[in-house]
Parts: sequence; C-alpha cells; structure tokens
Amino acid sequence: MRIPILKMHEYLLISIQVELDDQTALQFQEDLLKRIHDTGAKGVVIDLTSVDMIDSFIAKVLGDVVRMSKLMGAQVMLTGIQPAVAITLIDLGISMREVPTALDLEQGLDKLRLELEE
Amino acid sequence: MRNMINDISSNKRDVIAQKWKNELSTLKNLCISSKITPDMFEQLNEEFLDMMIRYINQNDIEKDQTLHRFFDKVLQLNMPLKFLTQGLQTFRRVILDVLLQEDVKKEKAIDIYQHVDRLIDPLLNEVVEESSLFWEKTVSAQKTALMELSAPVIPVLENITVMPLIGTIDTERAKLIMENLLDGVIKNRSLVVLIDITGVPVVDTMVAHHIIQAADAVRLLGATCILVGIRPEIAQTIISLGIDLSYFPTKSTLLKGIEHALEITNQQLLKK
Repeated sequence: MRIPILKMHEYLLISIQVELDDQTALQFQEDLLKRIHDTGAKGVVIDLTSVDMIDSFIAKVLGDVVRMSKLMGAQVMLTGIQPAVAITLIDLGISMREVPTALDLEQGLDKLRLELEE
Repeated sequence: MRNMINDISSNKRDVIAQKWKNELSTLKNLCISSKITPDMFEQLNEEFLDMMIRYINQNDIEKDQTLHRFFDKVLQLNMPLKFLTQGLQTFRRVILDVLLQEDVKKEKAIDIYQHVDRLIDPLLNEVVEESSLFWEKTVSAQKTALMELSAPVIPVLENITVMPLIGTIDTERAKLIMENLLDGVIKNRSLVVLIDITGVPVVDTMVAHHIIQAADAVRLLGATCILVGIRPEIAQTIISLGIDLSYFPTKSTLLKGIEHALEITNQQLLKK
C-alpha cells in the first residue's frame, strides 16, 4: 500500500486516507524523501484529517519525517489532526513540540508560504 | 379491630394531638432554623396529624394523593427529613400508647401492634424514597449546571478564542476542559486560544500538568495556546515548583494576551 504524493508548484501535498500501519508508514517515509530529492520541493503538507488513530510508532515516524525533510531543505506541516487523535497522543506522552501544525490544508499552505517567505 | 383503631383515632383525637405535639416540640428548633416561622410549623404539624388520622381511617395510600402532596410540600420547604420520619414514628408510638391504655387482652394488643406497624412502615419507606428522589433530582440538575459552567469556549475575534477557567481543576474537569477546548478550536477555526486562569485559586504541579497537556493538544491541531491571567503568586509557585511553561507564550492579563494574539494572526484593532 503506497500513499500518493502530489506535487503543486514548489509544494508536495499528501493526504493520508488509509489506516497507517508500520510498513506503510516506513514506505511513505522513503517515498517522500525520494520525492523531495527529485522535485526539490521547499514545503510539504501532510494532511491527517481522515486519520482517526495514531499510535506511538506512527507518531515517531511522522516526527522523524519532519526532521529528515528539514535536513533536505523542505519544511513540513502536519494539518487536520482530529481532537480525538490529539488527546490520544497527549495521553501517550507524545507532544511533537518540534513539529509545525495547522488546522487544515488551507491554513497549512498559508503558514508554509509565510515561513518560506521570511 | 380496624374499627377499634378507627374509633380511637377519631374519638381520642385531642389526646393524640396533645401527645404528638409534646413529642414533636423537640424538633421545633431544628425546623425553625431553616426559615420557617413557628406559626408555619404549627400549621404544618396540624396538617400532618390530620392527614395521618385520615390515612389510618382510610387505610390506603394509593387512593389518596394528599399524603404525597404533603411530603412534596414539606420537602420543597426545605424542612429536614427528620420532621417526617420522626413525625411518623411518633405517630405510631402515640397511637399505640392510646390504644394500649384501653383495656385490651395481650393477643389483641399484639394484633393491634402489628396492624399499626403494617400501616406506618410503607409510609416511612415512601417518605425516604420520595426525599431521596427529590435530592437526586436536585443534585443531577446542579451537576449539569456545573458542567455547563465548567469550561466555556468563547470566540472573541476572528480566529481568536478565549476559555476562562474559574475554580479548582481536578482530573475529571481537566478532561472536560481539553475536550471542549479542542472542539472549540475546530468549530471556530481558531488560530489562537487564550486560556485565562485568573479565577483558578491554586496552580500546583497537577493543574500545571493538565494545562500543559491541553496546550500541547491545541498545538497538535494547529492552533497556538496562550496562557493568560497569571497572578504574581501563581508565577511564584510555578517557578518554585520548577514547572516549565516556556513552550507556549504566557501573559499576565487577558488584554495583553489578546494583543499578542492579534499580532500572531496579523490583525489590528483600529479606533474610529
């Protein structure tokens, strides 16, 4: 199972609409880094609106992806995290403080644009 | 035997009333302290006795709702439950006293005793049940009210929401606060949420932990949390407890918080 990665100008857009298992998440990590390398994208938005469960491993992978992408010069934004997911993550003790977040895709793109302009 | 009880209860009403009043006079102080005048107490007492005698004569609770209505009335007046329970017990005692003063045989006396018992006991149960229902209703109404007042989310400006917290925060309430906060962020599409703790009397490690968790959750959704209303004594406790609140902005007053929020959302208030 592969997660589609869409390119729009200098951004990459990913909407995760399947249940993330460990294998899919690792595959996604590899695919995304490769796409960033190929396209030279400056910003990445990962939309989690339709994800209703994130466990500690997935959270770690997502955190890693954000840091790895940053190393390669792409700013990542997580958007659309559901309240229930946020509560689960907090209960697990995962606060992902270093990861930028936004309410939805629209605000995520706006925030990214602001950050990249600065 | 029924007739005998009936006869006695109606013929000797005065004697019964006298004894009853004597016995219940000890309760008077207890009741009058709760906003009930001595006149009212006398009146209630009289009504109670009347009803009891009528009940003994009719020998049926269900037929007649007057007793129910009387219990309700007493409870509405905030009278202590003791007034009803002791009243019933006293009534039983008085009736038995009066009956046994008549010249009766031992077997008959036992019969009478059992009969009176059978009359009074269901009433006692009724009273207790009714009053506990009454209190349950009151408590659940108050609980709902408390929940509603507990964690309101108020949108004040575009993309800016305020949640004022008043009173102590325990684990259960913290959970409610977090849920309301996150739902509010989604509903109002907020970019900035201000948590106002002016009304929180004590901030210990547990309360701070809950606030930090709420702020982290808000951040995961993509909004920023600003903690406002930090009084000097709270700042002192937070620092001396070694709590780290540096992950998110904090301000002393709601006003300063809103100014900061406007800055974050690139907005400005203009005077006309």
